[in-house]
Amino acid sequence: MTDSDTSDSTHSSDQDSTANDGGALGWVRARLNATSPRRLALYALLAAVLVLFLSPLWSGFMTSLKSQTAFATTAPYAPPLPSEMVAQPWFEAWSRLQGGMFNSLLFGIPATIFSAFLGSMAAFGLTKIDWRGQLAVLLLFVAGVFIPYQSVLVPLRVFWGMVGIESMMLTAESSVAVLPVIPALFAALAERADLIELMITHTAFGIPICTVLFRGYYLTIDDDILEAAKIDGASTLRVYWRIILPLSKPMFAVTLIYQFTNIWNDLLFALVLVTSSSSHVATQKLNELQGAMVSEYNLQMAGAFLVALPTLIIYVVFGKQFAKGVAGEQ
Amino acid sequence: MADLTLDGVTKVFQDGNEEVVAVDDVSIEVEDGEFLVLVGPSGCGKSTTLRMVAGLETITDGTLRINDREVNDTPAQERDIAMVFQSYALYPHMTVHGNMSFGLEESTDLPDSEIDSRVEETASMMGIKDLLDRKPADLSGGQRQRVALGRAIVREPHVFLMDEPLSNLDAKLRAEMRTELQRLQEDLDTTTVYVTHDQTEAMTMGDRIAILDKGELQQVGTPLECYHRPNNQFVAGFIGDPSMNFFDLELDRESEAGSSDGAATKGALVRDGFQYSLSEESLETVGDVTDVVLGIRPEDIELLESGSSVHDYEATVDVVEPKGDENVVYLEFEGAEYDGTFVATVGGMHRIEAGQSITVRFPEDAVHIFESRTGTALQNRQLSATEEPELTI
Repeated sequence: MTDSDTSDSTHSSDQDSTANDGGALGWVRARLNATSPRRLALYALLAAVLVLFLSPLWSGFMTSLKSQTAFATTAPYAPPLPSEMVAQPWFEAWSRLQGGMFNSLLFGIPATIFSAFLGSMAAFGLTKIDWRGQLAVLLLFVAGVFIPYQSVLVPLRVFWGMVGIESMMLTAESSVAVLPVIPALFAALAERADLIELMITHTAFGIPICTVLFRGYYLTIDDDILEAAKIDGASTLRVYWRIILPLSKPMFAVTLIYQFTNIWNDLLFALVLVTSSSSHVATQKLNELQGAMVSEYNLQMAGAFLVALPTLIIYVVFGKQFAKGVAGEQ
Repeated sequence: MADLTLDGVTKVFQDGNEEVVAVDDVSIEVEDGEFLVLVGPSGCGKSTTLRMVAGLETITDGTLRINDREVNDTPAQERDIAMVFQSYALYPHMTVHGNMSFGLEESTDLPDSEIDSRVEETASMMGIKDLLDRKPADLSGGQRQRVALGRAIVREPHVFLMDEPLSNLDAKLRAEMRTELQRLQEDLDTTTVYVTHDQTEAMTMGDRIAILDKGELQQVGTPLECYHRPNNQFVAGFIGDPSMNFFDLELDRESEAGSSDGAATKGALVRDGFQYSLSEESLETVGDVTDVVLGIRPEDIELLESGSSVHDYEATVDVVEPKGDENVVYLEFEGAEYDGTFVATVGGMHRIEAGQSITVRFPEDAVHIFESRTGTALQNRQLSATEEPELTI
């Protein structure tokens, strides 16, 4: 609706402008004349909303470029004077956050992929394969979506205490001690035991929402296609692999973006599960930038931007597919 | 190549606590290379029957055999059949080539080069060679239809199953594809089961047709057999367009009526002033059944200026539908209280107008008599030796 509206009005105003003299000012005036008051009001409103939305980002960005004193003496949204402009907060933030960001990627990427992939498989089983008791299982998944993280923190801690990933990895290391390379791998995994716990936890908590999202999408896929594949000789697994999976691209974009953002931004599980400071993740490191005595706002702002960067990149990379997935296109 | 046997095949669906019988004890033998059309109104169980043959539905009771091997419990993947769906069911993310090679990749161990050459061969046979790199979304309805057929043909399966494959095409294309499909099936000589609700398709395409209603098999036979020798009133009414005219009548053995040769006899079918006298033989075949249905095909009704036979009636023309080659004439009896219109077809050059009074003749050798209660045919029309359809069962 709005799209066609806009293109219509631009079209007509273009025609008007050709009738006017070629000057840039004249062109602007002609456009303004050709635009209805309603549309002008709309633009004004949109501009106002834009300012409202961007002002925190803008203020944060400006702050990250100011020295401590400049921050204390100027308004947050005011750009720094050239003499007071500094890049140092960015470098310091990067040096203090990079380890955490690396850790976050280390568990976040597998957790994102696993939860999306397992969710897709579960949804396939819940929509396109017929078996008894499906509804009960589906309800369990739906209930899983609504479990608040806060309510499981203590059981989660106790559970991982009982499982003991670290000792498992160490046992594995000693039992394959004669082999080359592999023991070292297990040793490395034992060092990152906290991150493994975090990865599995996030995968598990991500599966329900991914399942529900994929399920909605798979319900729109024509059963005839799957039956045709079956008659063409494909087993259920092959049908999933060759038909369902390729058709799921847009929904994978949705779940990958959603899950990655969620997992990357999570602090709660990390605080509960990650104890060794070498395994601290990005959000924990960012939290540590707050400092105990003095708040270095420029440093914090630069850090916040750095930590937000990966999610931004994910959106840009998968944006087109994401839009398709949200619109339910195939 | 294979023959296909359905022996007492039954499908019962569970709907809550209720059992719905979708297909009831259907037995059909399809010979190797035969083109069998399953036809019936919607909900008659024809698609369910096809899906059971395909392995997409389980068989509740009875046995299904392909080449004398029972396949009731063989999964669809291993039955070596190919199916064409009404929706075509092309894989939207694959090219035409991908769609056609998928089945060979999944069901055979053929090397890629062999698969490619078979796909190309089939594609040129179907006239879709130029489309091999396109995706289904970029194809027209007719092209998709060809791809769907090509996808089935390239597999060289034992049996083709087709579920109303032409119903999404426009009328002209449908008629073309009908002929082409018949030619293809003849060339390939692959056993084919074809489901349709369209009796024209059934009549024109099938070597034999099987007519289903309410899950029950009504008749299996050649198209002409079903047309001229219907087992029952349902088949008589379903096959043929416009359909056969039916008149609910009672047998009155005392009724005085002249027979067609002028001699006075007793015995006629009557109701509300309408009377159709029967010959001795007909009376004999009807036996002691009293409630019967008289049937006559529209093209067998003769329209006359005036008549004298005992099977002539006065009628008024209600509506005329000119079709060019023929006129479809809707008529009403004049005088008799028996109401209800009936249909006759006459040559397109025959001038006839609505409101006109006319004499119609129901020749006795052209009428069918069915038992009212069961619908069973008591007597079918008589045919001369040359008209007699070849009986296959």
